[in-house]
Amino acid sequence: MNGLNLLDDQKKFRLGMEIFLNPPEFSVGTTPSEVIFGEDKMKLIHYIPIVEKPHPIPILIVYALVNRYYILDLQPDKSVIKKLLEEGFDVYVIDWGYPSGADRYLTLDDYVNGYLNNSVDKIMELSGVENITLLGVCQGGTFSVMYAALHPEKVKNLVTLVAPVDFDTDKGILNIWAKTLDVDKIVDYYGIVPGDFLNSAFLLLDPFRLMIDKYVGMFDRIEYNPDDTTCQLRNEDYIKNFLRMEKWIFDSPDQAGETFRQFMKDCYQNNLLIKNEMKLNGKKINLKNITMPLLNVMAEFDHLVPTDTSKSLNEAVSSSDKETLVFPTGHIGIFVGSKSQKEVCPKISLWLKPRSLLNGKTEEKTVQAYVELPEPAEEKTKEQRKNNRRSKVNKK
Amino acid sequence: MSESDGLSMEKSGFESTREFFDMWLKVYNATTGRLVEMPAIGPAREKSEKMMKGFSTFVNLYAAGMDSSSNFQSVFMDAMHKVQEKTATDMEGEISPEKYKDFYNIWMETYSETFKEFLKTGHFASDMGKLNSHLMDFQKYNREMLEENYLKPMNLPTKTEIDEINKELYILKKTVKELSRQIKELKENK
Repeated sequence: MNGLNLLDDQKKFRLGMEIFLNPPEFSVGTTPSEVIFGEDKMKLIHYIPIVEKPHPIPILIVYALVNRYYILDLQPDKSVIKKLLEEGFDVYVIDWGYPSGADRYLTLDDYVNGYLNNSVDKIMELSGVENITLLGVCQGGTFSVMYAALHPEKVKNLVTLVAPVDFDTDKGILNIWAKTLDVDKIVDYYGIVPGDFLNSAFLLLDPFRLMIDKYVGMFDRIEYNPDDTTCQLRNEDYIKNFLRMEKWIFDSPDQAGETFRQFMKDCYQNNLLIKNEMKLNGKKINLKNITMPLLNVMAEFDHLVPTDTSKSLNEAVSSSDKETLVFPTGHIGIFVGSKSQKEVCPKISLWLKPRSLLNGKTEEKTVQAYVELPEPAEEKTKEQRKNNRRSKVNKK
Repeated sequence: MSESDGLSMEKSGFESTREFFDMWLKVYNATTGRLVEMPAIGPAREKSEKMMKGFSTFVNLYAAGMDSSSNFQSVFMDAMHKVQEKTATDMEGEISPEKYKDFYNIWMETYSETFKEFLKTGHFASDMGKLNSHLMDFQKYNREMLEENYLKPMNLPTKTEIDEINKELYILKKTVKELSRQIKELKENK
């Protein structure tokens, strides 16, 4: 019996290797979209609405500079963006791009008052509205908070998703580490801070699980059941999901040095934002200027942005209409975990819908172009894939 | 080496290495370290002074690296002892695949938790901060030497020069954007 189990493990490993040797095609960010505006390396992406009359107030998703926005549209059945479209929203997202040496002097002000502000203006122009909903994710949530405080007239609703604003905590390892970093030396040497430098810090958070157990677990989850014809498909689906996540985790853009310098020093080291002492281009960011409805969404088991770093926001703003949602999930699970589609997105939608109407009006706008989202493309058969042995990644 | 020399061979190999290194560092700082910090003189004083400073930069990095390695080694030993304690009785008798799996799970859980505990201490953060700082100093020094001794004599562009151009470009783009914005505003107000 024991010997048979060992043999099964070997078979599972062999099967896993066979799948890797004939890698399945996988894609990320497949929800139909178009680039409607660009500035330097930043692109503003508009997702094609899938209802005839979307809610009038569009949503702009602001993602972090670390990693890429497509975690919100990782695959059709794990897509926050697709879910929002299905709920009838008009959705935009900022793709910050991959900064290069020429971008080392870009400041936080350039990102918030430049790229983000210009994107908001463009959406308002195209939608014919006077303000929009900002949905800031992680560091993008921090940017959104800064923006909402500086340009409150352009933000109708503010939704923050696992966004840190109060950095003075010892519950997050990153918060502890950041305090001892000599940020000036890092920026002065690198100029553009390598994404791999940050990735190595993320891996160090739990090195054994992230560098060993994750890969052991991948092979362990392979099913070996020669009598089950659907088993192979389930295995391939599992590997595809694994590879999508693996791609996202290590798709880490480098960071514009001056932006990294100010973010680390003002936020992580001196915690100026929550104290209303942080400045962008000489202008103080006063969180009391935030008067619009606020939805602050957190993940209970977030090891990167502990809830302590997010919950202070509700107290710091002047909004009378404010709500907090905490889900029993982690920092990434909130986008791609089982609760994301079933609980997180529906609750955000429920909160947003009555607040996404034009002031004093209840009519919804009609868009000229909308599409019905296709069913996920039929996966190629094993035979077809064998003819195309090289892994091909369709990256937007 | 005897106990009277301050080194104990009863301790683990790494602790002895650490003690030896600490002693070496003291001797270095009192002797060679002082020599390399001496002001240079003569026609090539600028270059030689910069080059000599590289020794200190490297020694600082090496010392910080030793501190970090030593701490990691202690945590490894601690985790290993914990695994031994947890598995001492379980691993007796016939070794089955289930037992291998159990051992792996215990090993993973113990190492992961022990390291996570260590990594969230201020002590580790401080060590990592120092190591990183010395690494940046060392890398910066190497690049300066590369620029000074190879790129400039060969009339090749240096990173410093490229950064200067990047800065000019950034300021220029920002000015153009601001002027474009002002022109647009003026047009709209007409």
